[in-house]
Amino acid sequence: MISTENLEKHYEVGPEKVFALKGIDLSIKKGEFVSIMGPSGSGKTTLMNIIGCLDSPSKGDYFLNGKLVSDLSDDELAKIRNQEIGFIFQSFNLLARNSALSNVLLPTKYAGLDGKKSLSIAKEMLELVGLSDRTDHTPSELSGGQQQRVAIARALVNRPSIIFADEPTGNLDSKTGQDVMNLLKDLNNNGQTIIIITHEDNIANQSNRIIKIKDGLIEEDNKNV
Amino acid sequence: MILRESFESALNSIKANALRSFLTSLAIIIGTAAVIAVIGIGTSANKALDAEIDEFGVRNLSIFAGQKRRGGVSSGASPLTLKDAYALERVTEHDWLVAPGIQRGRQVQFENNNMQASINGYSVNNFPVRGFNIEYGRLFTEKENLARKKYVVIGSKVASELKTFSRNLLNKDVLIGGASYKVIGILKEEGSSGWQSPDDEFYIPILTATSRIAGTEDLGWINVGIPNDANVDLVMMSIEEVLRRQHDIGPGEDNDFRINDWSQYADLRRQATNIFALLIAGIAGISLVVGGIGVMNIMLVSVTERTREIGLRKALGATPKIILFQFLVEATILCAIGGIIGVFIGTLLLYVFASFNDWPFAMPFSAILGSITFSAIVGLIFGIWPARRAAKLDPAVSLRYE
Repeated sequence: MISTENLEKHYEVGPEKVFALKGIDLSIKKGEFVSIMGPSGSGKTTLMNIIGCLDSPSKGDYFLNGKLVSDLSDDELAKIRNQEIGFIFQSFNLLARNSALSNVLLPTKYAGLDGKKSLSIAKEMLELVGLSDRTDHTPSELSGGQQQRVAIARALVNRPSIIFADEPTGNLDSKTGQDVMNLLKDLNNNGQTIIIITHEDNIANQSNRIIKIKDGLIEEDNKNV
Repeated sequence: MILRESFESALNSIKANALRSFLTSLAIIIGTAAVIAVIGIGTSANKALDAEIDEFGVRNLSIFAGQKRRGGVSSGASPLTLKDAYALERVTEHDWLVAPGIQRGRQVQFENNNMQASINGYSVNNFPVRGFNIEYGRLFTEKENLARKKYVVIGSKVASELKTFSRNLLNKDVLIGGASYKVIGILKEEGSSGWQSPDDEFYIPILTATSRIAGTEDLGWINVGIPNDANVDLVMMSIEEVLRRQHDIGPGEDNDFRINDWSQYADLRRQATNIFALLIAGIAGISLVVGGIGVMNIMLVSVTERTREIGLRKALGATPKIILFQFLVEATILCAIGGIIGVFIGTLLLYVFASFNDWPFAMPFSAILGSITFSAIVGLIFGIWPARRAAKLDPAVSLRYE
C-alpha cells in the first residue's frame, strides 16, 4: 500500500543544506496499524507530511497504492489527500462555526459528491463514532473526546485507504484518550489501515508495528504482538 | 457543491466578525451611498427643471433694464417703458407675444385679514407666456386694461392667506394698498419655481398698475414669448434692434438692457448640475477604491488569522483554486453587501433631499445596479492578492501555524 525508496528531504538554510530525511525505505501493507515514534527534530513530522501527501520529497520515490505520488502537482496531491487519506490531528482542527455534521461533510464537498448520498454517509460515520445524537452541535458544545470522534468521522467519510493520526490523544485525558484508541483499534480490526504518530509508549504499544525514527533515518522497525 | 460551500463559509466568516466586517465595508457603504444620492439628486433636479420649463408653455425671453453707459462711464439707470413694449409689439416679422410686467409690494385686506403681497401689473399676454391658467372666473381683457379697471386675478393660495376660500373671494372686493379691487378670476395652482411663488401673488391689468399703483410707466421687465421652434438668435437681434432705436443708442455703444433666454439658462443649470454630480460621484468613486484597499487589508489579516483553517481545508482535499475562490467570494460578498447597504442609505438620503426641495423622486435603476456591481468588482479586484496568498500557503506548514 505504502512503499518508499530512499526518501530524502532537505531544506536550504542559506548556503547550507539541512537534511530532515536522509534516505527512508519503508513499506506498509493494507490493514496494518503502525506507530511512528521519534524525538522532536528526528524527522518524523517531515516523514508524516510526505506520506500524508502534504509535502513532496527532495529525492526518492513514494508509491501509494502502486501510484507514484512523489512528483504530482499541488492539485493532484489535493485529490489524493481528499480520496486516499483521512487526517486526525492532535488539536482536532474542526471548523468552529460549523456543526459536527457539516464538519464531517466538508471532505465530500471537496470531492464534489452528490449532496444526499454524502449526507447519509456522513450520518452513518457519526453513528459509527457514537455521536448520532450530536450532529447539530458545534465543536464548542462538545467535549474534547467527542470533538476527536467528529474528526475521526470526518477522516472516514470519503472511505480513505489510510487513516493518519498525528498525536490523536495528545490533547485528551488518559481515559478519553483510551476511548479514542479503542475506536481506532476497532476500525483497524475491520481492515482499516492506520498510521499513528506518537511519542507515548503506551499508545505505540497498542499498535501492531512500531517504527522509530532518529536523525532522519529509521532506527528500529519492530513487529509488536 | 463547492460554490455553495464557498458562499456558506464566506457568509459564516463575515457573520463571525460582524463588527469588523461592518467597519471594513463602511468606506464602501459611504462611497456607494454618496454615488447613489448624488446621481439621484442630479436626476431629480433635472426632472424638476424640466417640469419648470414645461410650465412656461412657450419659450420665454426676458428683457430687463440695465445701466446706460457712455464711454465706459455709467450715466444712470435707463428704464424699460410701456413705449418700448408697444414698439416691440409693432414688429410683425416675428410671431411673438410681448408681455410687459411691473411688480410692487402692497398690503392687501379682505374683511378683517391682511397680507403683504406682490402686486403684478400684467398685460393679457403675460398669462399665456407664463403658462398660467384660470381655475375660477376669468382673466381680464385688453379693453379692461385700456380702461384701467380695478380688477384683480389672484393666485390659488391667496384665499388661504386671507383665511377664506377661493370661491368665497370670487366677485368680492379686496383692498389693495387701500383701494378696492374686484376679484374676477382665480388661477390654477402653479407650484413654486425657484425663487417665485406665483400662487401667492395678485395680477392686475398693467395700465391699472402703472397709473394707480406704481405711478410710473417704467416697467420691471418685458417678457417675450416665442414659439419653441423659433430662431432665438434672430429674435434676440430683432429685440436688440428695436430697443437700441427706442433708447437712442449710437453704434459702438453698449446696450442699456439685458435679454435673458430662460431655456438657455436652464441648459446651463442642467449642465452645471451634471458636472457637479459627476464630480461628486468621482470623489465617491475614489472612496470606493479606498474602501477596496481597506477590504484588502482586512482580508490579508483574515488569511493570516485563518492559516490553520486553510491548512486544514487543504489537508482535507481543497485545491489551491478552491481556496482562492473561497477568499475571492468572501471579499466580493463583503463589498457587495456594503454596496447594497450604501444603495439603501443613498436612496433614503435622496428621498429626504427630494421631498425637502419638493422635487420629483427620480433614481435611475442603472445607477443602483451599476454601483452594486462596481462595489462587487472592487471587492473582487482587491480580494485577488489576499486570496492568492491563501491559495499559495503550504498545507504542511500552515497546519502547524500557531
